[in-house]
This record gives sequence, C-alpha cells and structure tokens, in this order.
Amino acid sequence: MIFNSELSGQQQHTTSPVVTGGSVIALVYKGGVVIGTDTLCSYGSMAAFKNVEKIAQVSKNTLYVSSGEFSDFQQVVKELAKIDRSALQYDDGVHPSPRDYGNFLARLSYKKRCKINPLYLQNVIAGFHNGERYLALVDIYGTYLESNFVTTGFASYFCKAIISNYWNENCTLDQAKQVIRECFKVLFCRDCRAHDMIQLGYVDEQGVHIEQAERVETKWDFNGFKTRANEKLHTQ
Amino acid sequence: MLKHLYDTDCVTWSPQGKLFQVEYAMEAVKQGSICLGLKSNENVVLCSLKRQPSELAGYQEKQFKIDDHMAIAIAGLTADARVLCKYMRTECLEYKYTYESHHPVGRLVFKVAEKSQHKTQSGAKRPYGVGLLVAGIDPNGVHLFETCPSGNYYEYKCQAIGSRSQAARTYFESWFHLFEKSTLEQLILHGLSALKKAIMEDEELNEKNVEVGILGKNQKFIHLNAQELKEYIQKLETFNANTQIQQE
Repeated sequence: MIFNSELSGQQQHTTSPVVTGGSVIALVYKGGVVIGTDTLCSYGSMAAFKNVEKIAQVSKNTLYVSSGEFSDFQQVVKELAKIDRSALQYDDGVHPSPRDYGNFLARLSYKKRCKINPLYLQNVIAGFHNGERYLALVDIYGTYLESNFVTTGFASYFCKAIISNYWNENCTLDQAKQVIRECFKVLFCRDCRAHDMIQLGYVDEQGVHIEQAERVETKWDFNGFKTRANEKLHTQ
Repeated sequence: MLKHLYDTDCVTWSPQGKLFQVEYAMEAVKQGSICLGLKSNENVVLCSLKRQPSELAGYQEKQFKIDDHMAIAIAGLTADARVLCKYMRTECLEYKYTYESHHPVGRLVFKVAEKSQHKTQSGAKRPYGVGLLVAGIDPNGVHLFETCPSGNYYEYKCQAIGSRSQAARTYFESWFHLFEKSTLEQLILHGLSALKKAIMEDEELNEKNVEVGILGKNQKFIHLNAQELKEYIQKLETFNANTQIQQE
C-alpha cells in the first residue's frame, strides 16, 4: 500500500518516529468543533520546524489533525483527500461525511498495526454534518473512539483537569477557544516538546475555518526571576 | 436483415449499428416473469410475480436484499442474477466495513453497469441475461434504478420489466403522478394493481405467487409475509386510484 519499502528487498517497519508533532486538543462547542495544536515539529528534542501548519482541511466540513510522526500525517492527508476526489467520478454528488473519514482512518490504522508497521499517529477527526457535531480519536492501534473532547500526547496528562473544570459541550466558541489557549499555556510551561505558537481551527455549519497562528500568552517577568530569589537561598 | 451474419458474438457490429448479442440478451429479460417497482417521497415498493416451474416445485424468488437500505428484483436468467446479487452484497459489506455507512445506491448501480458493459465488449464473454430493478435509500433520497444487460442504467419513478410488463407500465403512466405523495399502503396497492394488469386471464394474484418488498427512510428492507399479502390482495377489490385523487 502506501509504505512500500520492498525496494530494498527487506521489509522495513516504523520503529520510532523521527519528526514529530506535539499535542492536539479538540473540543466540541455549541455550534461545532474546535481544534488547537501547536506549530512545532520536533526533531527528537530539537525544535526544528517552528512554523508548521498542522491543521488539514480534508473536505468541506471535515478537519484532520494528528500528533506523532509528521510524515505519516502528510501521507494520511493525501489518502483522505483521495477518497473525496474519487467520489467525483461517480457524478452523484455524494461526498464522504466526517464519520466516513474517521472510520476509514480507523480501518487503515488497524491494517497497518496488524502488519507491525503502524502509522505512528494519534489522529483526530473533527467535522460538522447534517446539523451534528462529530469528533473522534483514532490511535496508533486503530482504536476508534467518538467523544465530546479529545486530547493527545502530553495534553492527556496536563489538560484534562482544565478541560473538565472550564468546559462543557454547550459552551460558546470563544469559551472553548479560551480553554484551549489555557491548556497550551500549561503545556508550553511543562512539556519539553511544546511551543508557544499555536493554531486554532473550527468547523461549524458554514464549514471549515482555520485561523492564523497565535502566540500563547506567557508571563516571564515574575519578581523571583528578576530578583533571583532562589539563587540567594543557595548561597546562604 | 441477414441477422445471422452479424449475431455470432459481441464483437461484431451490424451495418445498422446494432450489437445483436446484446439485444438477444435483453430478450432474455423480457422472457422473465414480471417485476415492478414504484417510489414515493418516503418509500420504495417492489412487486413481482413468482413462477412455479411445475406443481411439485416451489415458487422462484425474485427479490433479494442487498443491504438494509437496498434490494433488487430480477427478471431473466436467475443464475446470472445470483452472480450480480453476490457482487452487490459484497460491495455493500466492504463499504460498510471501511466507512461504517451505507453504500450510495447510484454508485453501486454504476458499478453493476460497468461490470455488465465489460461483458459486451469481449469476444470470449456473453452479456448477463438479467435485468435488475434496484430499490434503495441513501442521503440523496429515495431511488429506483433499472439495469440492463447492455450496461445501461436508468433512474425511474416507477418501472416494470419482464413479460407483459407493458400492461403494468400503461397503468403507471395513468397514475404515477399520485405516487410521490402516496402513503406506503397506497403505494403497495398501486403496485399490486399494476401487477394485476399484467397477469394472464386464467391467473390470479395470491399470497403464494406474489412477492412484495418494501423499503423506507425509516424502514429496512422487508418482505411482506403471507398474511399481509393476503390482506393487501383483498384490499385490491375495493382499491380505486380515483379515490386517492378525491382525498387530496
């Protein structure tokens, strides 16, 4: 299929990711679904590519983001776009719904996992179809879970408390965006492979909207930093 | 017309631009017993007349469920129909496995038509000798398609194929303007009335030789059972399409 490394005569398998994307947070709100991700692709512990757009519009009403191996992300975007394009040849105006993409990706991930050559990704598919919000997580094993909120990577550890305290599924778009910004603030402080530039995208009745990258609000001018209070303590 | 000069195989055109083998295959459809389909805004109904090869035999089934949202009625070579039925069922199952949703109806009919056309353009193959009426529901709405051995397919509001189907089509021509807004019961009665026009004088409709299948936006494909068929056939006596007009 897509990872045809039979050229060398030796089957290769994805053992560990090389260029990775960070956490993804997606929340359902009253009129749709909003996703946030940072704009960093790390090369191990090096912050190699700092201005990467990682929110992909797969169709008129579907967004796809993932964390993990970035080349896998790029390949999956191509595979998903292929489905929509091939729908054109039937001339019947029927296009895949967000759920179709989610399930397709789950089948694809499961197939590759069964060959011990996985797509090294935690995938998030968000969409709005027939008045219904859609949000699903497909993990590296092909597990498919639909949910009202989804977090991947470190966000699953740091951000769930913030989300459960400040978000509910019927909040406004601005409220949901604010929660995501708060989460990325915390991530930037605590996750080594996180970045302070984030990008938000949302999908509602009108379709997909991907916003410009924005900088996470951080505060560094604490008194303790300026007066180096900690250092004084050690010299005593 | 010296047909026999040009009708040996599919790869020979006649001077009049006909492929006789394909036309002969369409004849096989006309020899099959009648089946018809009609649709409203909400439902599709398939009605067929089942043939009994002999008194000792059972009646040949003519309608097959492809998936919850799709069914076919066949006229022609039953063996060929089985091949197409299996193909359609497999395609629907694969689609469901990958996307967890129902195969769009028009797309599957298109695939069947492609398969059928392929058989008309080869020296070593013969066309399928069966016509299908495909009833289905998908996000695009309620559908009724007809497929031909030639590889053509058409979408219909109502259609009848098989022997003496012209009589049923004549009935449809008079009353199809009522079908869109008909209730399910009215649709079934219209279908059975059309079927009645197409039977021979010494034949009669009964729950053994009639097959009725229904599909709806909130109704998976089911066959009417013997009891329900009996009731509907009885209702036929008092059913008059004119009364439906008065109600509207």
